[in-house]
Amino acid sequence: MEDVLDLFEDVAADSLGYARRWKEETGGRVIGVLPMHFPAELAHAAGALPVILQEDEEPITIGHKSVFNFYCGFNRSLIDQALRGKFSGLDAIMFGDHCVQLLGTADVIRANIPGLPILFNQLCSIIDAEWALAETERTFQQLWKELETLIGRKIDEADVRASIRLFNRDRGLMRRLYDLRRNGQIALSARQMQAVVKSSMVMDKAQHCALLERFLTQKRSEPSAVRSVRVFLSGHLCHAPKLDILDLIETCGGRVVDDDLYHGFRFIFADIDEQAPPVRALADWYLSRNRKVPCPTRAVKGADWEQYLLKAVADCRADGLIVLMAKFCEPHMFFYPEIKEAFERRGVPHLLVETEHEGVALEALKTRLETFMEITRRAVAA
Amino acid sequence: MLNLVDRPGPSPIFGNGERANRLQSTRFGGKLVNAYWESLFRAKEEGKKVVWYNGTYIPPFFHAHDLAWVHGEAWSAYLAAKHGEMPAQKAGEQRGYDRELCSYARTHIGQALIDLGKLKDGTLGIAPDDERAVTMAKLPPPDMIINAYPYCSSGQQWDDITYRLFGKKVPMFTVSIPLLWGGRPDAGYLRGEEWEQRSRYVADQLVAMTRFLEEHTGRKYNFDRLSEVMGYVKKAARLRLEAMDLCTATPSPASFFDWIVSIAPVNFLPGDQNLVTYFEGVKAEIKERAERGIGAVKDEKYRLFFDGMMNWNKVGWLADKFAAVNACVVAGRYTHMSFWQEPELIDLDEPVLGMAQNYLICPNNHGAPIMIGEIERICDKFGIGGMVMHASRTCRGMTNSQFLIAESAKRNGRQALFFEGDVADESFYKDELLNTRLEAMIESMEAQRRAA
Ligand code: SF4
Ligand code: SF4
Repeated sequence: MEDVLDLFEDVAADSLGYARRWKEETGGRVIGVLPMHFPAELAHAAGALPVILQEDEEPITIGHKSVFNFYCGFNRSLIDQALRGKFSGLDAIMFGDHCVQLLGTADVIRANIPGLPILFNQLCSIIDAEWALAETERTFQQLWKELETLIGRKIDEADVRASIRLFNRDRGLMRRLYDLRRNGQIALSARQMQAVVKSSMVMDKAQHCALLERFLTQKRSEPSAVRSVRVFLSGHLCHAPKLDILDLIETCGGRVVDDDLYHGFRFIFADIDEQAPPVRALADWYLSRNRKVPCPTRAVKGADWEQYLLKAVADCRADGLIVLMAKFCEPHMFFYPEIKEAFERRGVPHLLVETEHEGVALEALKTRLETFMEITRRAVAA
Repeated sequence: MLNLVDRPGPSPIFGNGERANRLQSTRFGGKLVNAYWESLFRAKEEGKKVVWYNGTYIPPFFHAHDLAWVHGEAWSAYLAAKHGEMPAQKAGEQRGYDRELCSYARTHIGQALIDLGKLKDGTLGIAPDDERAVTMAKLPPPDMIINAYPYCSSGQQWDDITYRLFGKKVPMFTVSIPLLWGGRPDAGYLRGEEWEQRSRYVADQLVAMTRFLEEHTGRKYNFDRLSEVMGYVKKAARLRLEAMDLCTATPSPASFFDWIVSIAPVNFLPGDQNLVTYFEGVKAEIKERAERGIGAVKDEKYRLFFDGMMNWNKVGWLADKFAAVNACVVAGRYTHMSFWQEPELIDLDEPVLGMAQNYLICPNNHGAPIMIGEIERICDKFGIGGMVMHASRTCRGMTNSQFLIAESAKRNGRQALFFEGDVADESFYKDELLNTRLEAMIESMEAQRRAA
């Protein structure tokens, strides 16, 4: 079982390295995908390896000349990687999210890697607008067309359906892991859970599925961890939280039982209809997202992140909520006060942890986490 | 995006101490702005429904439907002019809005919090009988909220929060104005498949917006009225461009800062004869100055371009600062690439499509290659020698492509400096840094001048 997790951790730690090896072995195309809403299924159906681009661990150096330091770590890291030549193995990038910072990054990448095709298709972000379905279908049709131009042949509907099925299978397997974790039937650290999800953003899907299936058959029961505080982790859009923060939460007495992280449940919560025409199915999947796990970068009336979180925290019997917020992430900053107020009103302990690409001062964070765990323990006991 | 209400203030002690020779004709704009707010404060008494909106210049749609409208940004600017932005920002901060969030949104949201009655607690640093509080209390609450923010996602999220602050009870409509990426082979300024498709997409949404207005007023939308209103807007827009063109003269008779104070009329004031009168006045004064060789800056030696969002707390201050080194900021991305800058696209019989197109080409809504192409064209036209890049800390909408713009400027033999500040949060502005960098840039421009 450990060997599967080790493999996931290795891939998660070096996604572009995995993509390079895959390319060398298969001769196929690698397509970089931008978070958080592109259906990588289409790129997969085009015979490519879709790889969700990740923040890397390197400090920002050369990137300073092309991005301000008041941009989120993900954008700064993407630009730095682009300028360091890290994307040289990519055959294209699917770009075009709504976040204003990412729009700027798209242009910096276009200017600095002129030969790299950018399949730019901005998704409609008002996902309950009366034109949202038509516009989303148009966007996916356009993306489909652009992928066909890239690979020089038609992409069969049957292939898209097969990719949808495969991706659904992978998501389903990961959701089983989530259920097991919620119910205390598996001992998986937050670090390990991140490796499972993050590697699925990168690996060949069939391989990932096979490994996960093996892993699930070998799983062992969780040792009792009576004294730990059950924690729900929320937030951290687009890029993975640093592993040392996740470790610290656990060494300070917490046990992560659920999350809505992009490198977590947000990535796997919804499947795509396997029966409907693919473009329609993809559009429905996209447009229903906020009703399931609200995302602050999309707007839907009546879908509230804070209400979702209160319910999700109760459903998984978490004792408290830790919000991980990437510094300078505007969508998150706009909505955080709503979450804070809702949790205060309900009396559920919560803690905001701001993260940075450069890392956080762990000693200070340790003290805050220990205090949080103590408060939460007392609240539970009361 | 924001409009200006000019705030008189001290002048920097810097350079030769000269102050900007601002246009006199723009004062009429101040009167129009005040009249607009006064009539807005009476809106409910007059039985008018009130729309709060953010983003691009959609008021002609409201004007034609006899609605009153509040441009969120303009309201914040109005408060800033009365030094009321601090309590608003503090109110936002108290609710947990991070200082790194768009300060314009923070001011507006904080203001809404105050409007929502929290002022009574006395916790917001402003007493209920303070004159500013009295002004704030006059703002009519929204009957509808409309968001039409090109390019910037923060603009959309900002209104999402306003909608929530009002208990999700006020009907809200959002117009998506997507980026013109310009990646297809046929892409160019105002052309290509993407341009055509996006134009129709936004125009259709604007028509849907009129249905929303009908639904919430119970009255039929009158497109003939819209054409009529747009007739004035188009005329005013043409006059503005003609007046801008006169600033190719040396010395430039008007500066970027005069155009900044001329934004309100083309952004949110009612589309009527006053707009036309305003720009006729501005054009006449500029023409006269050009004929008499009078510049916006005494002894103009250097001509600059201002890139980025305006630093609204510092308009007068900056105007004087550049004047004090004989530099005239002649043009800017914000002023010269927005606010009905393509009036000929508007067909008065069917104005909606052309309106959508003007909204689409706001100063940051083009992908970098096309946007920078336009900036270079403007710089060539106005004989620009240097670029002033305002790195507005909390406005990613306008900082996104600035490094690429500066690189392009340098490739074209223009100097470029960056200075830090913000749209509406004064604490990010670093005067000393700007002084040093401006002096250094002027020195290099001087050396360049001598070498030539
Ligand atoms: S949504 Fe947040 S984390 Fe993602 S790119 Fe935008 S600012 Fe960065
Ligand atoms: S960040 Fe800038 S462009 Fe975006 S909403 Fe704020 S002021 Fe407007």
